[in-house]
Amino acid sequence: MPTSWLDVPRDWMSSLGDIAKFCWRVMVEVFEGRALHFFGETLRQAGILILGSAIVIWGLAFIVGLTCGIEGAYFNRAVGAPSYAGVFSAWCDLREAMPYAFGYMMSAKVGTGLVAEIGAMRISDEIDALEVMGISSLTFLCSTRLLAAWMVLPFMYIAAVGAGFFASYLAVVQQIGEVSSGGFFLIFWMFQNPPDLLYSTIKGMAMATVIVLVGCYYGYTASGGPVGVGTATAKSMVLNTVLVHLVGMLGTQIFWGTNPRAPIGG
Amino acid sequence: MSDEQRDDEYIDGAEAETGADPIPEPAAVDSRSDDAIAQEAAGRSPMTHESPEDIPANIHDQTRDGEHPYQWHEGVNREHGSTDAVEFIDVKKSFGRNTVLNGLNFGIPEGQISMIIGPSGTGKSVCIKHMVGLLYPDEGDVLVHGESVPNMSDDDLFEMRKKFGVLFQDGALFGSMNVFDNTAFPLRQHTDKGEDEIAEICNRRLREVGLAGAVDKMPNELSGGMRKRAGFARALVLDPQIVLFDEPDSGLDPVRTALLCELIQEVHAENGGAYVVITHDIMSARRVADYLAVLWKGRIVESGPAGELFNSPNQFVRQFLSGEARGPLGME
Repeated sequence: MPTSWLDVPRDWMSSLGDIAKFCWRVMVEVFEGRALHFFGETLRQAGILILGSAIVIWGLAFIVGLTCGIEGAYFNRAVGAPSYAGVFSAWCDLREAMPYAFGYMMSAKVGTGLVAEIGAMRISDEIDALEVMGISSLTFLCSTRLLAAWMVLPFMYIAAVGAGFFASYLAVVQQIGEVSSGGFFLIFWMFQNPPDLLYSTIKGMAMATVIVLVGCYYGYTASGGPVGVGTATAKSMVLNTVLVHLVGMLGTQIFWGTNPRAPIGG
Repeated sequence: MSDEQRDDEYIDGAEAETGADPIPEPAAVDSRSDDAIAQEAAGRSPMTHESPEDIPANIHDQTRDGEHPYQWHEGVNREHGSTDAVEFIDVKKSFGRNTVLNGLNFGIPEGQISMIIGPSGTGKSVCIKHMVGLLYPDEGDVLVHGESVPNMSDDDLFEMRKKFGVLFQDGALFGSMNVFDNTAFPLRQHTDKGEDEIAEICNRRLREVGLAGAVDKMPNELSGGMRKRAGFARALVLDPQIVLFDEPDSGLDPVRTALLCELIQEVHAENGGAYVVITHDIMSARRVADYLAVLWKGRIVESGPAGELFNSPNQFVRQFLSGEARGPLGME
């Protein structure tokens, strides 16, 4: 139990420091190429990401795209500009909704999965078994997963953005139908450009990196048996949720804060 | 009285006085210090001269009122006739306020099956984790073939670990791989052997442990005993010089325990090396051990060849090895 009110924030700072140090070690292993020694394991993890998470991420992206389209269409109708529904869809989908949807599903599925899997390995001595075989468990378990995420997730994210765009089109043009297909796409593409897609992908990948690293940290340092792994899973979800919003907010401020990149007013 | 009768009377008298043959036999090798021998002559363990303040509180908590925590620790390390594969030099280790090892001094002999036995929670598993560098001592040193483990760089540590094979308590098989892939894993990671050669080695080891028919099974499809045997096969594939067994008999019935002991002996006879078994099963110790070390309250009570320890006069050792309820060891 904390003995003074300073103990709680001190513990948080100490944990943040531990997490930062761990994340740095994992990334260094990737940048220095040591994760490539276990490229087979990296490919296996990439396959698990694709087979286990792609459909559900695209599914969520589709639903969120529908929401953006519906919201934009009704709002624009209310202000007397139904043909500009593409504006809301373009910005909502690409800049905010897709990164957050991606972040939420990554936290819920991939992040918690990492904690559970690596944490279970920790409490059943599998990590110790790797270490005594002369294999760096940090590299084998964490750096390979990070490298796999970096290899696979950009494509998965861009596909999710595509799913969201398609859903917005379905909602605005097919479902509500107050603008034609050509009219929708004219405005839709006018209000976004390739750099916006790049920035959105950077936001999404930043979230994914943070989620994988936090998941690996809580799994790798789990203790206290199955209850400890469960507690670590919950903690990782809380931290990932906060960090997803923090990364999203920072990304929006950095990429679109000073220049909204909107074709308005010449 | 003739001279002969006088000699017989002298001899009888001498025997009656000392209980010993007056013609001295060559002294047995005793590695204890003069101070330790003097302490024993005074009827006390040589370690009871320690001040109570120097002994951690959690160890006091395990001691009956009125007793010194180390009064049974004679610190006798009998000669085993080999060099030491692993040496512990005054190792101390604490986890928070809980001191687990408190001045551990002993050696694991080369080429023999050694057993570290002792009550539950006394630091046996912590001891073997120090051997492979999974834990580092707070004080003292651990030497493996003369090299200090705590002072090794990461690269040297990983190289040193290749000398070891470790069987963890529940096998510690990787859940994502089947039995064959688990067994082949160290070979695929550390050698350039082709798959045919790897398959030949793995199948041989799995046949030795009686798992030839289970190569395609996943760990969650195996019984506890099968997981241990698979872990044993995996520990052997790199022909390690030192094999560690962390309570291999836990969760096994007496028959399977006996079979596992037999397996350990057979494999050791074939492959050699230093085997270290952590257990508190005395039957296994009787069956298998060449060398025994009795660990209690973070220190060695006594160690030496198994035959000598089973005849030890030390009350704690006698109680523990006979499984008696009465004696120095209680429920504290």
